[in-house]
Amino acid sequence: MAHMLEERGLPTTALALVLPQVERTRPPRAVMTPFMLGRPLGEPNNPAFQRRVLMQALNLLERTDGPVILEHFPDDNPSWSDRVGWQPAINLPVLSASTTAAQWQAAFAAELALVLPVWERFKARFGRTTVGLAGQTPETWPGFATSYLDGALPTVKLHDTPALALRFLADDIKALYGEAVQADGEPPSARQIDHWFWRQTVAGQLLIALRGMAMKSENNALKTVGGRFFVPTPYLPA
Amino acid sequence: MARLDDIPEPTRTAVRDVPCPNFETTPFVAGPPLAQRRIAIVSSAALIHRGDAPFPFGSGETRAVPGDWDVRDILTSHVSINFDRAGFQRDVNVAYPVERLRELAKEGVIASVANTHFTVMGSSDPKDMVESADTIAAAFHADGVNGVLLAPV
Repeated sequence: MAHMLEERGLPTTALALVLPQVERTRPPRAVMTPFMLGRPLGEPNNPAFQRRVLMQALNLLERTDGPVILEHFPDDNPSWSDRVGWQPAINLPVLSASTTAAQWQAAFAAELALVLPVWERFKARFGRTTVGLAGQTPETWPGFATSYLDGALPTVKLHDTPALALRFLADDIKALYGEAVQADGEPPSARQIDHWFWRQTVAGQLLIALRGMAMKSENNALKTVGGRFFVPTPYLPA
Repeated sequence: MARLDDIPEPTRTAVRDVPCPNFETTPFVAGPPLAQRRIAIVSSAALIHRGDAPFPFGSGETRAVPGDWDVRDILTSHVSINFDRAGFQRDVNVAYPVERLRELAKEGVIASVANTHFTVMGSSDPKDMVESADTIAAAFHADGVNGVLLAPV
């Protein structure tokens, strides 16, 4: 995109997250950062840190010693390391094996009832939520999600295929839990959030079960989204 | 490097080996000092306004992100299983730093912030984005933009 915009007469500067890509595409001006995919400015709610990253990139606009300038941002973002001693503020019951769709629905609904008030605290604290891709409210999630385990292929107004409806519901479930667990105090690291969600919540286990369902489904779109979008590789069942 | 070793497979191999276009030219457009720049953002996060349809996976389309969107209603529809989500959940600026740009404009570090920014889906093939580049460039030129920040996720 940098090349294409420069060819059209626009000066560009890029933040870069993947060194092999930036080395091959050779954008005119780029700052290579050490941050996780998904957060090119590095640290949320830290304007001073974000500004350092941003200014390093913007300052390249004044450089004339191109055609390819690549700098490196020197520091990790402050919350890169796990928070020592962190424990989730949400106390969830010990996971029990759920096997039928009805059992999954009951377990997920019960857990969600505990998580929702904490999520409300996140929204109040940070003034935002990224939940909203599914086109459904959380109250409908347990019944909708678990119906797939019984072979149903439901849709919603916003998504006209069962595959997309479940894909974006999976995203919203992960977003709601991820936000809730950051509601209070100093947030945990991204790795700690993932570990908690995939190892200690019914919702995480349900998404793993839904992935298993999708991978066996005769609905090819469902199979594709289940494999690609539901569960990160480190948390796939052995 | 952005911790390529820390990215789980298969995303690690995918991002490392993603086909990259070979450009025969090396365009490099100069401009005035930063304090005279009008800056716009192009985000690869497939940003949408709450209630809008998400980008289709692999889409080469671009969509405008008007500067007057309430940042609380900006969602990302480019959600990979191996992207960090926690940062964007707390602060839109970690991927779409529009509030940081406004601060820089207020302080005179940059001249101003574009009226409209643009977003694409990052994993899409650049060959499918030529039309999008035309759209973005035309809009930025019309808005007087003379500096573009590319913020891929």
